[in-house]
Amino acid sequence: MATRKTSGLRSWLRSGEPWVWMNAAAVGTSILAVIGLVGLIAWNGLAHFWPHAIVQLETGTADNPVILLGELVDTDTTERLQYEEATGDGALPEAQTTVTRVLLKTGNRRTAPPDFRWVYDHRINRISQPVDAIVIERTEWGNAYGFLESVRDGDRTVTGVKAQEALARAIDFAEELRENIRDLQQAELQRVNAGIEALRLEDRRIALSDRSPTDKQSAHADVAQRRAALEATYATLERELREHINRFQGHEITLRRADGETEVIPLANIVRTWQPNAMSLAGKLGHYLSSVWLFLSEDPREANTEGGIFPALFGTVMMVLLMSLLVTPFGVIAAIYLREYAHQGAFVRLIRIAVNNLAGVPSIVYGVFGLGFFVYFVGAGIDQLLFPEALPAPTFGTPGLLWASLTLALLTVPVVVVSTEEGLTRIPRSVREGSLALGATKAETLFRVILPMASPAILTGVILAVARAAGEVAPLMLVGVVKLAPTLPVDGLFPFLHLDRKFMHLGFHIYDVGFQSPNVEAARPLVYATTLLLLTIILLLNLTAILLRNRLEQRYRGVEG
Amino acid sequence: MQHPELSALPRRRALVDRATRLLVGMGGAGVIVAIALIFFYLLWVVLPIFLPASVTPQIGGETPDFEAPVYLDTDDGGNVGMVIQADGRVRFLALEDDLEVLTPEQSLNRPVIAITADAGGGNLYALLDTSGDVLFFRVNYRVSFDETRRQITPSITYPFEESPVTLGEFKDFEFHRDGSELLIGVLAEGSVRLLEFTDVEDGFPLEAATPGRIGALSGIDHLILGPSSRWLYLLGNDGRLELYDIRKPRRPKHVHSQRLLSGEGQVDAFAPLLGRYSLLVGQQNIVTQWSLIRDEGGYRFQDIRQFDFPAPVRLLRPEQRRKGFVAIDTAETAHFAFATSGRITTEAQLPAGTQVLGISPRAHHLLASAPDGELATFTIDNRHPDIGWRTLLGKVWYEGYAEPIFSWQSSSAGNDFEAKFSLVPLIFGTLKAALYAMLVATPLAILGAMYTAFFMAPAMRRIVKPGIEVMAALPTVVLGFLAGLWLAPLIEANLAALLCVLFLVPLGLLLLAWLWRYLPDRITRPCQGWYALLAIGPIVALFWLAFQLGGPLERVLFDGSLRDWMLNELGIAYDQRNALIVGIAMGMAVVPTIFSIAEDAIYGVPRNLINGSLALGATPWQTLTRVVLLTASPGLFSAVMIGFGRAVGETMIVLMATGNTPIMDWNIFQGMRTFAANIAVEMPEAEVGSSHFRILFLTALLLFLLTFVVNSVAEFVRQRLRARYGSL
Repeated sequence: MATRKTSGLRSWLRSGEPWVWMNAAAVGTSILAVIGLVGLIAWNGLAHFWPHAIVQLETGTADNPVILLGELVDTDTTERLQYEEATGDGALPEAQTTVTRVLLKTGNRRTAPPDFRWVYDHRINRISQPVDAIVIERTEWGNAYGFLESVRDGDRTVTGVKAQEALARAIDFAEELRENIRDLQQAELQRVNAGIEALRLEDRRIALSDRSPTDKQSAHADVAQRRAALEATYATLERELREHINRFQGHEITLRRADGETEVIPLANIVRTWQPNAMSLAGKLGHYLSSVWLFLSEDPREANTEGGIFPALFGTVMMVLLMSLLVTPFGVIAAIYLREYAHQGAFVRLIRIAVNNLAGVPSIVYGVFGLGFFVYFVGAGIDQLLFPEALPAPTFGTPGLLWASLTLALLTVPVVVVSTEEGLTRIPRSVREGSLALGATKAETLFRVILPMASPAILTGVILAVARAAGEVAPLMLVGVVKLAPTLPVDGLFPFLHLDRKFMHLGFHIYDVGFQSPNVEAARPLVYATTLLLLTIILLLNLTAILLRNRLEQRYRGVEG
Repeated sequence: MQHPELSALPRRRALVDRATRLLVGMGGAGVIVAIALIFFYLLWVVLPIFLPASVTPQIGGETPDFEAPVYLDTDDGGNVGMVIQADGRVRFLALEDDLEVLTPEQSLNRPVIAITADAGGGNLYALLDTSGDVLFFRVNYRVSFDETRRQITPSITYPFEESPVTLGEFKDFEFHRDGSELLIGVLAEGSVRLLEFTDVEDGFPLEAATPGRIGALSGIDHLILGPSSRWLYLLGNDGRLELYDIRKPRRPKHVHSQRLLSGEGQVDAFAPLLGRYSLLVGQQNIVTQWSLIRDEGGYRFQDIRQFDFPAPVRLLRPEQRRKGFVAIDTAETAHFAFATSGRITTEAQLPAGTQVLGISPRAHHLLASAPDGELATFTIDNRHPDIGWRTLLGKVWYEGYAEPIFSWQSSSAGNDFEAKFSLVPLIFGTLKAALYAMLVATPLAILGAMYTAFFMAPAMRRIVKPGIEVMAALPTVVLGFLAGLWLAPLIEANLAALLCVLFLVPLGLLLLAWLWRYLPDRITRPCQGWYALLAIGPIVALFWLAFQLGGPLERVLFDGSLRDWMLNELGIAYDQRNALIVGIAMGMAVVPTIFSIAEDAIYGVPRNLINGSLALGATPWQTLTRVVLLTASPGLFSAVMIGFGRAVGETMIVLMATGNTPIMDWNIFQGMRTFAANIAVEMPEAEVGSSHFRILFLTALLLFLLTFVVNSVAEFVRQRLRARYGSL
């Protein structure tokens, strides 16, 4: 500035220059926070899928060596004092003020717990990366680390070099078998089960109806007959299923752990295996992509701490789709009313403020309202009217997909209204008047002229609403989200879309796995990956909305001029 | 057709036009209805808390006639009333159904003097017959569904067969069965015997008991078994109370003696409250609640509450499932009172000389009878006597506590638990979380907005503003997750480093700014407006430096651990998930909200004001602080208000970044529980229609009103500001 350099500290302070710097620092900190946050999540989330090298650590004393095998997950540094207090070890070199340790994920949770171990750097005698170390991803008990000893498929046992090939064959075999089992369970058995349940309800309905006793008796008999047929099918299917499962018998692999012991892992429990230390970069990339795909397409395992997040992703998308179907017409019509039809007076201004404020009402309040009004009031009413045979088990009188979508639709109405109104305001009066002057009715002006012009604004609003709904968790916890839904809200059984079902949600998944699961340490990478996915979806949606809005602005610049 | 121009249109077009108008009008109305619906529905759920209670006499089609009833009770649901007569007949009547007497009636097959129910609740009764023997029996209500309706069939069984227990001479007795143990306390003249039966099993006769004895007593008239057979209370008519520890019934231990009356007088009525941690003692018009508490002097009874009735109280009877009771005065009025809230909610006029009283387990029915057999039945609508403004907002003296406290503790495993519904700790927690968040967010957002709107280069502003606004779209569950699982452990391990950050970053930046002036003009001039970008590097460096210094600093100043040092030297405890974490995480969530509105307000200040100020020789900084901020101050105010509104209602961050304990402590290193988090935690478990459920709705309504008012004020201020800018 003008007074710069002419005098000392006091005039510098008076010039305000230091405060400008402070202000700039506030912006800088905010930007850093955004970048840091996204970066942190991206780094942790993306790293989760990489096939990390397996290291072998040799620690312990000469006559009692301890050999550990696993992935390095974390390192940290402790003050010497705290280290000495915690371990009672007084043998550190005089000059050393801090102690570094590494966290090793050693897996083998069932047979050689714990699955995570801290090892102090100075106690490690030797580090190596054995080429033939193998990771086995299992359906239960987490990963196993070790060396492949032998593979038994059926009655033959393969050891040595051939074991590798046998393993690949065995995995293919397991995959195929599992596919069969899943088909049988999900498609056939589920259908028969649903049929039996439907018959039970029909039976109840007959009992509740006001038909004559003899009439009822014959109806009951008919139901019983059909049930017997279904139960017979069920028994056959169950037998078939057991046969499939039995085919796994005799298929297992033997793993030699780092401590020299061997353990047998049944093939039925193995998802896949890999040898990261022997992988080329291309191999690692391939593994990475397949990991990402498994993450997106698989069901969760082990209380959601492993496996994929497909049901959560699917549930989120379904809920958001339903919600936008509900919120779009309602929000757009409301905005058209406020801007085009209502008399612009104090009342409309009041409503506009109220709508704006609705956006500021805490989301949990909507959750409470949704639970009370939709679930306990409307839902219970629907049950009384339409599903009396299922009572006291509620059909719609319990949290579910429909109520969650409705609640979030209500929550996001202001977003759509405000955005649509903004779009409508931007349309110059002259356009409307021109249309009316040409003899169009108000409705025709609306449908042929105004709505097409406002459509990008409407779309922006809907996208923003979707982005908001996708990230909202608090109200969903009350109106329909569960940690583990046995079935998807859409399946092959009539009526295909099950509005009454509970569903899983990415945001709730993060909360649940990160905070409610028994093994947070093991679940953490997965939570980061889920968070990254949610964040990506929401940021993409927001970016789309911003770009759309910018294009909109450009378009009207022409009209106004 | 009213519009001439429309009448010329083909019918179809006119129809479409009108239909559209109707549809749009309905849509508009829909929004208004939706807003009103949220408010009124919440209100509708909350309102029953504050509605007055009522008691209505039930008028049967034909008043049944009973001979000398000695005991009245109902089944669990209050559908069937039970009357036990002195001749041993047990008769049941349908309470919901015109008081019709059910057939067949049952009989205990012997004349009855008195019936005593299990002291700890439970469906076991003891019959005292004329020979002084005690026989245990049970009343079962079998529920069955026939074609059209629910049918309840009562029956009487004898769990220990029909073998009576002989008590001998006695004044008073009580019993309690807990699993395989049955304890009978018998008060005789000058002594107490405690009969303990072990290995009690249904279907087998009682085996001989091993008695314990308390001798050399005088002036004791009543015996009361305390909670779960742990305590024995002996009460004299003069108010004397002896407290015994009977965990080992064979060797009862005297613990304390005191007098439960103030001044002269007699105990006119007494009753233990549900759970038996409290005794109600009536003397004239006053009923005092004495609660068993423990303080430095050991266990004793403390008078924690008084109820004042219009006439002397002659009979007290506790409710079976709540801490409520009925007091009957000499004017034959039954008053319904509740211990926790101290409220007397309603009253009913009973028949003269009422001696026997039965309250249904859920306190929906009252049965009263005089010795002449006239039975009066009442339906009670007294759903939320436990709630009042005093219990919600004032200090309440709960059972077992040494003093009145604010406490939120809504449920527990036991069913004789006294729920504590004070909103104060939640209000405190809500404000604490919001306050710390605002402490972080306000300076960051407002200072940032000042720079962005006033100094920043337009090219940079075009990116920065939407960039920070996108942060508002970040799901709060993400922020909460990072706060709880990443930030909380990080800060716990680097507390001293954080302290360094607070000093080092501002001071370091000032130093750099000072050095900046010595750079040549040709470097600094093009950088005008890009300070924010320039500052990022030094900020990162300073943060790094602070984290490097944290360890050594702790070693030198705080004996290696700031946390331990604070606990030992200052007595400040440290929770890993605390208000500081919430402040930072929720601050980050609120920054974009405040920033965006404040930036708009500052950016919108008319150009001519700024130019005028600069032309008069003011520096840009002076112009900003003296002219621009002043003009935009309503906008800044509304920005902070809206930010506050968001912080108050935020759920996930608080849920994940604090321990959610409802404590009242301003300490920044302690957690809290907010309204929103409380709803998220407790709503799924709350029983529909219960007091707990309605209070949770009340908190939701409060949140709704609070944010609605705050936002309305902010919005109003903002609109006024916009009008003013327009006129400038």
